[in-house]
Amino acid sequence: MIAMGEEKNQSHSTFELKTVIETSRMLVESRDTDFVLNNLLLILMGRLLVTKAAIFIHDPVEETYTLRKKKGFDKLEEGAHYTFDLGPEKNKEPYFEVGSADKIKPENGADLQNCFLFNLRTSNNHHGYLLLGPKAIRTSFSREDLGFTESLCIISTAALVNSQLFTELTNTYRNLDRRIHELNTLFDLSKEFNLLVDREKISSIFKFALLGQLFIRTFFLIYKTGSKYTLLTSSGAVVKPTQKQINSIFLEADEDILVVDENLKNQHEWIKKSNITALISVTIQNERVALIGVGERVNKVPFSESDYNFLKSLANLAVISIQKTFFLEERIDKERMEEELSIAKAIQEGLLPDPIPEIPGIDLAAKTVSSREVGGDYFDIAEAPDGSTIFAIADVTGKGVPAALLMANLQSMLHVLLPVEITLSEATDRINNIIHKNTPSDKFITFFWAKYLSEHKILRYVNAGHNPPLLLRVDSDEFVELTDGGLLLGAMETFMPYVQTDIQLNPGDLLVCYTDGIDETMNKSFEEYGTERLKSCILENRAKSSAEIMDGIVDSVKRFSGNVFSDDLTLLVLKACD
Amino acid sequence: MKTFKIEHRNSDGFEIIDLYGELDAHTASQLEESLKNLISDQKSNIIVNFRELDYIASAGLGVFMAYIEDVRTIGGDIKLSNMNDKVYNVFDLLGFPTLYDIFDDEKQAIKKFLSDS
Repeated sequence: MIAMGEEKNQSHSTFELKTVIETSRMLVESRDTDFVLNNLLLILMGRLLVTKAAIFIHDPVEETYTLRKKKGFDKLEEGAHYTFDLGPEKNKEPYFEVGSADKIKPENGADLQNCFLFNLRTSNNHHGYLLLGPKAIRTSFSREDLGFTESLCIISTAALVNSQLFTELTNTYRNLDRRIHELNTLFDLSKEFNLLVDREKISSIFKFALLGQLFIRTFFLIYKTGSKYTLLTSSGAVVKPTQKQINSIFLEADEDILVVDENLKNQHEWIKKSNITALISVTIQNERVALIGVGERVNKVPFSESDYNFLKSLANLAVISIQKTFFLEERIDKERMEEELSIAKAIQEGLLPDPIPEIPGIDLAAKTVSSREVGGDYFDIAEAPDGSTIFAIADVTGKGVPAALLMANLQSMLHVLLPVEITLSEATDRINNIIHKNTPSDKFITFFWAKYLSEHKILRYVNAGHNPPLLLRVDSDEFVELTDGGLLLGAMETFMPYVQTDIQLNPGDLLVCYTDGIDETMNKSFEEYGTERLKSCILENRAKSSAEIMDGIVDSVKRFSGNVFSDDLTLLVLKACD
Repeated sequence: MKTFKIEHRNSDGFEIIDLYGELDAHTASQLEESLKNLISDQKSNIIVNFRELDYIASAGLGVFMAYIEDVRTIGGDIKLSNMNDKVYNVFDLLGFPTLYDIFDDEKQAIKKFLSDS
């Protein structure tokens, strides 16, 4: 009897050992937590003839236990959290029978009578409990039963830790994969953006990359140029905002990342309607240049720190590229402007007499030096139908294109009036009226013109507010200033006729007409060149030809200013010959 | 590396888009064009076949995000099929299987359309 009993015992132990080994192999190879736990329950229930069992996993942070898997125990709920209220020192035992003082909370009326709790532990840590119900055949657990269960618990706990580690590793690996993908996206787009100058295309690629990478549907991008805010692109549920709404959200959402709350939704109806959940500012070189709004993720997973970081990096790339397109446009505009100006310069130069015509009995030189591409200085020499010659010099207030337009206007009037038989005085009256009518009240022209009647060597002139030309008689060291005429052109309608004055020119007499670019040129100490310097320069050079005198003056002014001209300057020099 | 290409065919009343090569930031707008055209023609039972697609970037995925709702609003769907592992991995990584039906084979996608209607 004894021998037979031992034999049975032995074969029983062998069976148990085999089960333990097989189970351990299977469990150790498994990376699936669920599979490990399910197996533990099924093997034990089958082997020990138990109808109910449950596994609780310890959460060390919350100090609770999560019911991960159960068979039977209708009153307990998978996934629910429980706490164990056990007698002292019990958690150090490998297993113990649940006594009347031991409680699982919330209790829910689960019958724990004759149940055992097995400590699921590895050498260092406690991982949870296995709750094992009583045997179906109403006998109590044998020592072998308990030992077998304990061994299986040890193996399963090791497998459980393994599988959890594996899950963690898989998650880490997946996160890493995501980061790599994000980097690839950034790399891809930076290449692509570099090639693009089309703002709409950049915005659209940015939009798609963001929708794809963040798994969102709703998005908008507001971009700031100067003090203007523009909605560059949007997608999904975004309701088209008014300009006022765009401005106000851009100014208000001045945080790096602003999670949209009820307060903001109430203030910005369209943000609420558009289902925007976060607003992200893009700052480049300390200036907020763009605002991005995103809706929630389609799978409802909230955005993480790293999602925002990705978004910001991508947004930076896109916004810099968008900025680039604006800069490029500005440059193209500027180049076009420069090209137009150089054409204007050529046209303006064409309006001046070139070459300077030869007038019998007069040694003549004239030139204008513009400080800009185009300017408001003007001189002219033209032959009238009666055989006389017209000399003119003028200076339009202001500079650049507006001055040049007015100068061209004056030039055409002068040439239209040239063949008309009227006096110089009458012609000036008319020009003044037209200029006054056609130009804004702050635009004037100082104008001096003269008609040279070569037969009588008479110079008949009208000075309309221009710097008085300097006449240096051949036998004098004193200058005569030609001031007679009237008001500068364009100031008011002619109410007093312009006065014309005749002077006799004798051989050797020298007349220098100039614009204020000469006398008002400043040196580095902000002193003006002035008429005194001009006069002494003329006296120094009086014996020379008109061209040499003119160049002498220009050189003198250049030296004085250190070769810096802030205004146009024009000279018309004539010397009566024998 | 194959150049990106989109081909369009019709099979039993289903609009099938075949993608070739690499769908990235550069080529995404072409796919956008195709989807837009189908939607404006009210053709909404769309299957995108990825058999010949070697690579997909986020911008490519974004196009699907941008138009799925439009297609579903007019009573259709965009179903995806025949992805290689690399392409599927990207879709999976970004969570797309929760929003899109993705099939091993185009025929399964057609079957799903038929059983849904």
